[in-house]
Amino acid sequence: MIHSLFLINHSGDIFLEKHWKSVISHSVCDYFFEAKEKAVDPEDVPPVLQTPHHYLITVHRGKLFFLSVVQTEVPPLFVIEFLHRVADTFQDYFGECSESVIKDNVVTVYELLEEMLDNGFPLATESNVLKELIRPPTILRSVVNTLTGSSNVGDTLPTGQLSTIPWRRADVKYTNNEAYFDVIEEIDAILDKSGTTVFAEIQGVIEASVRLTGMPDLTLSFMNPRLLDDVSFHPCVRFKRWESERTLSFIPPDGNFTLMNYHVSSQNPVAIPVYVKQSISFFESGPCGRLDITIGPKQTMGKTVEALMVKIHMPKAVLSANLTATQGNYTYDLPNKVLVWDIGKLNPQKLPNLKGILSLQAGAPKPEDNPSLNIDLRIQQVAISGLKVSRLEMFGEKYKPFKGVKYVTKAGKFQFKCAALYEPFLLSFWTILFFYFTTF
Amino acid sequence: MPYLGSEDAVRELRRALSNPNVQSDQLRYRNTVLKAIRAMSQGVDVSDLFSEMVKACATVDIVQKKLVYVFLCSYATLNPELSLLVINTLRKDCQDPNPMVRSLALRNMTNLRLPSLVEYVEQPLAAGLRDRAACVRRVAVLGWAKLHNLQPDAEIDAAVVNELYGLLRDPDPVVMVNCLRALEEILKKEGGVAINKPITHHLLNRLKESDVWGQCEVLRILQRYHPQSEDELFDILSLLDASLVSPHPPVMAATLGLFLGLCSGLPAVSLAALERVRGPLLAACGSTSRETRFTALCHIQLLLRSLPGLMGAHYKRFFCGYAEPAYIKQRKMQVLVELVNDENVAMLLDELKGYCTDVNPETAQAAISAIGRIGRSYSDRCLEILTGLLGLKQEHITSAVVQTMCDLVWVCPQCSDTVCSALEGCEEMLQDSQGRQALLWLLAAYGERVSSAPYTLEGFIDRVRSEASLGVKMELLTTTMRLFLCRPSETQDMLGRLLHYCIEEEMDMCVRDQALLYYRLLHCGIEETHKVLHGQRSDPSLGVLIGRPAEPINQWAYSFNTLEPLRQAGFHQVGWGASVHSHFQISPEMFNRVQVRALAGPLKDIHRVVPKPLLCYLGCVLRFVQSALEHVFIQDVSVHCCIHLSLNPD
Repeated sequence: MIHSLFLINHSGDIFLEKHWKSVISHSVCDYFFEAKEKAVDPEDVPPVLQTPHHYLITVHRGKLFFLSVVQTEVPPLFVIEFLHRVADTFQDYFGECSESVIKDNVVTVYELLEEMLDNGFPLATESNVLKELIRPPTILRSVVNTLTGSSNVGDTLPTGQLSTIPWRRADVKYTNNEAYFDVIEEIDAILDKSGTTVFAEIQGVIEASVRLTGMPDLTLSFMNPRLLDDVSFHPCVRFKRWESERTLSFIPPDGNFTLMNYHVSSQNPVAIPVYVKQSISFFESGPCGRLDITIGPKQTMGKTVEALMVKIHMPKAVLSANLTATQGNYTYDLPNKVLVWDIGKLNPQKLPNLKGILSLQAGAPKPEDNPSLNIDLRIQQVAISGLKVSRLEMFGEKYKPFKGVKYVTKAGKFQFKCAALYEPFLLSFWTILFFYFTTF
Repeated sequence: MPYLGSEDAVRELRRALSNPNVQSDQLRYRNTVLKAIRAMSQGVDVSDLFSEMVKACATVDIVQKKLVYVFLCSYATLNPELSLLVINTLRKDCQDPNPMVRSLALRNMTNLRLPSLVEYVEQPLAAGLRDRAACVRRVAVLGWAKLHNLQPDAEIDAAVVNELYGLLRDPDPVVMVNCLRALEEILKKEGGVAINKPITHHLLNRLKESDVWGQCEVLRILQRYHPQSEDELFDILSLLDASLVSPHPPVMAATLGLFLGLCSGLPAVSLAALERVRGPLLAACGSTSRETRFTALCHIQLLLRSLPGLMGAHYKRFFCGYAEPAYIKQRKMQVLVELVNDENVAMLLDELKGYCTDVNPETAQAAISAIGRIGRSYSDRCLEILTGLLGLKQEHITSAVVQTMCDLVWVCPQCSDTVCSALEGCEEMLQDSQGRQALLWLLAAYGERVSSAPYTLEGFIDRVRSEASLGVKMELLTTTMRLFLCRPSETQDMLGRLLHYCIEEEMDMCVRDQALLYYRLLHCGIEETHKVLHGQRSDPSLGVLIGRPAEPINQWAYSFNTLEPLRQAGFHQVGWGASVHSHFQISPEMFNRVQVRALAGPLKDIHRVVPKPLLCYLGCVLRFVQSALEHVFIQDVSVHCCIHLSLNPD
């Protein structure tokens, strides 16, 4: 199915390759490079490319391209999902999925790829099983390895492959038994000029960190499970129980895993935590413009908005920005034309404001007013959808575990779209000046 | 690319590997092997170490074995003779009490990819099929497929095939799935693994045990099964119901594919299945992986062909985010165009309007032509937006708008007034040949209503010497001719200049011949010219477009869950938002237009109509035409061209 895999970085170097059937020459990647040249942004390269003898299916993860070469017709979702699984495994093993990390651990990477695919077919992809076959590198272990000569390769048959539950190894033992769940929600929203919601959706994920002895059977129930629309679970969750009782019942994998992903879609009203008042305008005459942005809290459920950050993609003609911020500081990244305003904590008593003059390239045509704003934020201890875990019960084992739930809300793709396309800028520079003098 | 000084490094490594002191110390030995592998992954050619590595293979240390195998598998093809030495060690390992060693040895034995070694590998592989440990059987099963790939022409061993069929009932689900995969490869010539009723039911019953990948594989292979009775069919369908709403997109897609295959005779059941996957598909559209999102979108497009109302309520899900890659945005727009109705049209157009100023010109163009498509049903609103866009004075936007207007006018002639008034003054903003061609076509069709048309044309004719695009020159000739017919006093002089230039100085045969043709046509008198040149300005048969009729599912079911809907060509194949100005993008409806336009301006579309190799042949036809010169005959020829077109729809 999957013939070969090439790992390619953003500048277009192939730094790792692996072939499962026969060796395919590098030159097959030229089709990819050609498409990459053509694309405005390297991220715009389409995921499936057709070449005379192969298909190239590419997945983009953290500045890396995972390019697989396929010779026959395949189900595309299958290959894409698998490539993401490979990237997930690297992330899981090395903490991040980047070129330098993969190069440092190249031997482990080869071993992993060897175990994950045989003859182009997925073999072992469950992280628990893999971790017993090939132990992940840790700093302590690499020190120990150099001293004692042991290595990262397990020399016993993974018990997980023999246990009846493929995602959990047998005979787990801990002195401290604990189960923690993080409910993380991201708001994807597009708001228009007047602040009304064009589109809003919440993407949530429950990350679990479970360290429990033996074979525990957990049941997690919610106060308001009806909120959840589209859910997708870790394979351990019993789907029948969810359909009938709306509770999550499962034998957890050992360690960290993603228990479920969910959406709270546009059917339910989504709380928008902040509002933005902005005016960015460019004068018809003279190479400058004016910017005035204020941010205030809207529906925050009584919590503070933290790590607030505003990103504005400026029109190409903007050369520099001379602004004053009442809170936080701003930077203007000239090559990418991005203005970043890092605000930090939002104080409802004193709203942060950014104001000043933008200077334009002389002679350039007047750019469009009010470019879109992207907002980043974080609210601790609340899930903005209102989702709450009511209880966690454990069956099958005698001891009492520590339990904990944490909630975080973040902004995902959170965008204020303010482009008013054809409002001609009626007031010329002089009229404004005139108003200015008459008002004062 | 070998690094500088790599020879020294290799020599150093070889010395270390053959040093008895190193060999006796397991730790040092292993680290030296590790160094060699590291060098290999950095691109240093370490194939010279082959014989040392073969020796290093004979060790009890599993880790070292693994490392050595990685080395051997990459260099075996370079050293077929030396590889024979490895086989002995590998065969010994196949007897090892540790199942992990056995599976490792077996896997690497088959990964050496040397046809000369096949005879030594067969026996351990056969033993592997009967091994106690599941992990060895998994490897052995796939090993047979690899052997077959090494010698695709060799005779298939019936005993092995039988044994593999037997292993379909193996207690380990991975062995079962691997058997399917192996049989599929080995029996490729006979059409893959044979699926009968007992096998089908066995596979379906054990579907739940296998992992996501296995389930997809089984579901894909089951597509070949035809249930014997309707009862059996419905039993299978109810077994599959849970996987149809599986949270894993690949499983969901594979199940739906199987559903559509099984229910090809029962359209009502298929439609119900499509309704059922709406939720999971929409969830996949919101997945964090952009590639999954893209694939899901492409498949939604397929579904919409049969169930146009499927996503109506969820149109907001297809609004584009700012940071989404261009390929997703373009697909989303194609979907949005399908979802337009009276209630959401204002909102959709507002949204699409926002995309028209996207940083990526291709996305902007796609948005503009999407608005043009909507314009077929809601022409007033869309024209207002399109004329507004011209005010932005951006080159790529103006070009896309003019092309879109050109397409729109062809379908909705009632828009022509607005379009004509919008055309004034946009020729300065048009830089690319497609945009200029579209402008010329519009001037030809509605020249009498655009007051500045002769001035625009004059500008074109003055610059014709430096014009590079063949298409623009051809279009210019026809436009000038047609404008001459309706506004002779203003254009006579420039037509003369243009014809003179094209006949006397132009190097391109196509342009020259067409100019000659027009010249002689004019000799036949103005009446005749009028008859030939005045074709239709629009296609009344298309009229106002009110939704597309739903296609039967069977039209696309075969391509569901394959790469076909994802292909680049799919963009044009769908025909929505595609521009008409290149000869690779022919959808049936555009085809009509090219035909009629070819009639309107005889032979002007030859360059787009006929593939290159035919050009010389056509040249002959043209010469013949010139001597004959009877307009009926000319029309015949142009019809002729259309026939070429339909023969080579590319």
